[in-house]
Amino acid sequence: MAIQETKYLTEFYHLPEFKGIDGYKKNGGYVELEKALKMQPQAIIDEVKASGLRGRGGAGFSTGMKWGFLPKNNEPRYLLCNADEGEPGTFKDRMMMEKAPHQLIEGMIISGFAIGSKKSYIYVRGEYDQSINTLETAIQEAYKAGYLGKNILGSGFDHDMDVYRGAGAYICGEETGMISSLEGLKGQPKLKPPFPAVQGYLKKPTIVNNVETLAVVKYVIRDGAAHYKKIGTEKSTGTKLFSLSGNVMKPGNFEVPLGFPLKDMVFGLGGGMKPGRQLKAVIPGGSSAPVLNAEESNRALLDYENLAQMGTMLGSGAIIVIDDSNCMVQCLSNLMHFYHHESCGQCTPCREGTGWLDKITRSILSGKGRLQDIELLLKVADNMKGKTICALSDAAALPVLSFVPKFRDEFEYFVREGKSKVKGTAYKGHSYAEMHH
Amino acid sequence: MLKCTINGVALEVKPGTTIIEAMNNNAQRIAHYCWHPGLSVAGVCRLCMVEIQGNPRVQIACNTMVTEGMVINNTSDKVKDAVKWGLDFHLINHPLDCPVCDQAGECGLQDQYMEYGQYDSEMAEKKQKKHKVVDLGPTVVLDSERCILCSRCVRFTDEVSKTNELGIFNRGDHAEIGTHAGKPLDNKYSLNTVDICPVGALTSKDFRFKQRVWYLKDSETVCNGCSTGCNVKVYFNKEGLFRVKPIYNAEVNGHWMCDEGRDTYKFVNLGARLTKAYQFVSGTWIENYAGAAAKVAGANLKSAKAEEIGLVLTGQHTVEEYESIVSTFVNTFKTKNIFHWVNNKESFESFDGILLRGDKNPNTKGLLQVLEKHGINASWSQLEEGLKSKKIKHLVVAGPENTFVYPDLEQKMQLFLTAENLVVLTAAKTPALEAYKGSNKITAIPLKTYIEKDGTFINFQGRAQKFKKATTVVSEALTLSDAATLMAGQDLQLHVASPREVLVAEHIRADQVHLESRTKNEFVFNRGRL
Repeated sequence: MAIQETKYLTEFYHLPEFKGIDGYKKNGGYVELEKALKMQPQAIIDEVKASGLRGRGGAGFSTGMKWGFLPKNNEPRYLLCNADEGEPGTFKDRMMMEKAPHQLIEGMIISGFAIGSKKSYIYVRGEYDQSINTLETAIQEAYKAGYLGKNILGSGFDHDMDVYRGAGAYICGEETGMISSLEGLKGQPKLKPPFPAVQGYLKKPTIVNNVETLAVVKYVIRDGAAHYKKIGTEKSTGTKLFSLSGNVMKPGNFEVPLGFPLKDMVFGLGGGMKPGRQLKAVIPGGSSAPVLNAEESNRALLDYENLAQMGTMLGSGAIIVIDDSNCMVQCLSNLMHFYHHESCGQCTPCREGTGWLDKITRSILSGKGRLQDIELLLKVADNMKGKTICALSDAAALPVLSFVPKFRDEFEYFVREGKSKVKGTAYKGHSYAEMHH
Repeated sequence: MLKCTINGVALEVKPGTTIIEAMNNNAQRIAHYCWHPGLSVAGVCRLCMVEIQGNPRVQIACNTMVTEGMVINNTSDKVKDAVKWGLDFHLINHPLDCPVCDQAGECGLQDQYMEYGQYDSEMAEKKQKKHKVVDLGPTVVLDSERCILCSRCVRFTDEVSKTNELGIFNRGDHAEIGTHAGKPLDNKYSLNTVDICPVGALTSKDFRFKQRVWYLKDSETVCNGCSTGCNVKVYFNKEGLFRVKPIYNAEVNGHWMCDEGRDTYKFVNLGARLTKAYQFVSGTWIENYAGAAAKVAGANLKSAKAEEIGLVLTGQHTVEEYESIVSTFVNTFKTKNIFHWVNNKESFESFDGILLRGDKNPNTKGLLQVLEKHGINASWSQLEEGLKSKKIKHLVVAGPENTFVYPDLEQKMQLFLTAENLVVLTAAKTPALEAYKGSNKITAIPLKTYIEKDGTFINFQGRAQKFKKATTVVSEALTLSDAATLMAGQDLQLHVASPREVLVAEHIRADQVHLESRTKNEFVFNRGRL
């Protein structure tokens, strides 16, 4: 049997009508909201906890547990949907927002009801113009239909929802960076503790969840935790949307149960390599996840535990495929340029370290690399890891700590010969100054 | 109280204390740049790393609370390596222009490098270029390349002065401190940002390029700029005083002081001072020794009628001096015509909510207490009438040393000059006297400033603050007590000079500054901790 997707969240995504409220309702929309509003909020939290649902944004933390950290009082609290989707290689949230905005909205109202929040925001990446328009239309429709606003469906529960447009900073995808941005401050992560569940947006308890996580809540209510748990593996339950990109024949978003073999994703759903090319490496969880070489990719399973065991992570589910026509030094340099550009500059190791790594890789590319630069890359990255307020520093360090040891021959060749080991990549390194002016 | 162990020392701390506070309060050294006890926690320099038993990763001490039984150390190799790298990240884009940097000698980067660094830099790439000599406002200049973005100055303007002028613009390694167009750093506390800047990024326009800090000695005293009485350190050498900085006193000024108070060193320096006594006799000024002039003035008073004698005091002198001069006038000259000269009456009670008070005298409370003790309640109008009706013929005035805060100085001097015999005891040059063309008798006697004497100020709270002499600028000047003793006809107690004083006296001209025997250049050591 051919390798196929498991369409659970994306069951009706092929229907253009699913985008509007009527089409959505025709296909089972807002049924779970009515059901949920008749439940006890704590029962919803317990159900989500029991389902084993883990955050789909990157960290993979148990959603039910996160909700459980909220203080048990009547303090106003906020629900934020993280739709900043900045991790290079990730484009699943965009599809969800544009094809099924009501799925997200319904999930958010149920989640808001569960945690007792009367106000939620969807923080959308600034470049996602279409997503923002679609969501805004959908929210208006939901207000008209009485799913948002005062006394929703006669339950006595009030909930308001707004879309907030980001301004294109990667760091605002970090939950406290997002909260700063939403507060009108410079998008910089905040010191933890206190964690957002205790003191977040406007110093009030706040839950930040990814688009996909919040959409899943509806399905946990629909099918129950017991059913949801059956999908995926024991500790990584449910399906997950993966964004497959890079050197494959058929890139795109694919929904599969967690624990799905990476090989089947690349060679099955992704259609394999271009003719005459060989698989060289795969970044399995967005650009900050440590890279896997071809051998590792062939045995990796797409779930939180297996990828952690292999020294990498599932992250946001962005699978970037690299074939043998690419130079790994160039790939790393490209990543380092990104992190250098996106570091908020708050913590010294990240502010200075990302720039340093960028400059070293660029110096290697321009043929001026020194052999000790390879060791230096590792030392710098090692000392950036785990030393900062947020994970951006780690995100920049982890690629270095995997690219260099796994493809050391390419780095050494580049330093010795002043050119790439991969033929046909006549890369002309340009100076750092040119990059910025 | 929570028990914890820091570097093998058992400590008890209050619940809610962070590790860095516990260490700082117990004189344990810990490297840090962004943390400041008077500001919120930023947690960005990542230098205050500590190892906590049971935790595999090093943690920042500034945002970690002490818990019961916690075992902490910051002397292990792991911590030292983390700090070394933390420091290296601070230094890779730093211009290392110490030879031309004003902060050299009291720089956090230099201090930590000597303790944790001493390695050869591995940075071979081009350094980040940023703006230099950025004019932030009337008092402060910024060098962005030296800046380590610790955000102390930004938090100061947000949290203490509440003026919000500063911000960090751009991100990553091209982030810079800056101000918004048309909104310069211009507040009454702006120079505190220079004090708390751990590197040479923010420098004071007033102090920069005047002195290398290792050529300065320092001494602790009390600011005489207003009735708050901030605790300060003055920095001086044989060329005079160069700057004033606040020192911590939780009860009075916290960590801060105002910019106005920092200017008080200017009236202490030689250029503003009366260095000799002068007597105006038959149309010409005759130079005299201060002591001799005081004796002559005292003899004149003794031969005068008690009701014709008056004394004017300002709130600028010490309690000890008030006691001495008031009791001399009451007991020796038998007069209770003692008047309190109040400057800027309208704003006397005002307060800006932080430190600055409208009463620009350090010791108004002290003066009022001494006057009350001696049962003196003469009003200012009595003086004016007395002078007008020639009832008061002999007037002694202990004038202000900080003449900048006496806007009525000229006008009052004209009033005093109507007395037949005027004795002005003052530290400052007084143009109104020099311009005098009349026929009255005038004596001007130089006084010491607060830097040059021991004494006590009582601030607005009623808190008596004792301070010690820091240095001598005008060696011939008298204290008010000296003047009172001499005017009463007694001699000053013979002071047996130490060998050092003899040495100084022999080799330094009388009008030059000589140094108090302070050997330890304290601020260099303090700087590393704070």
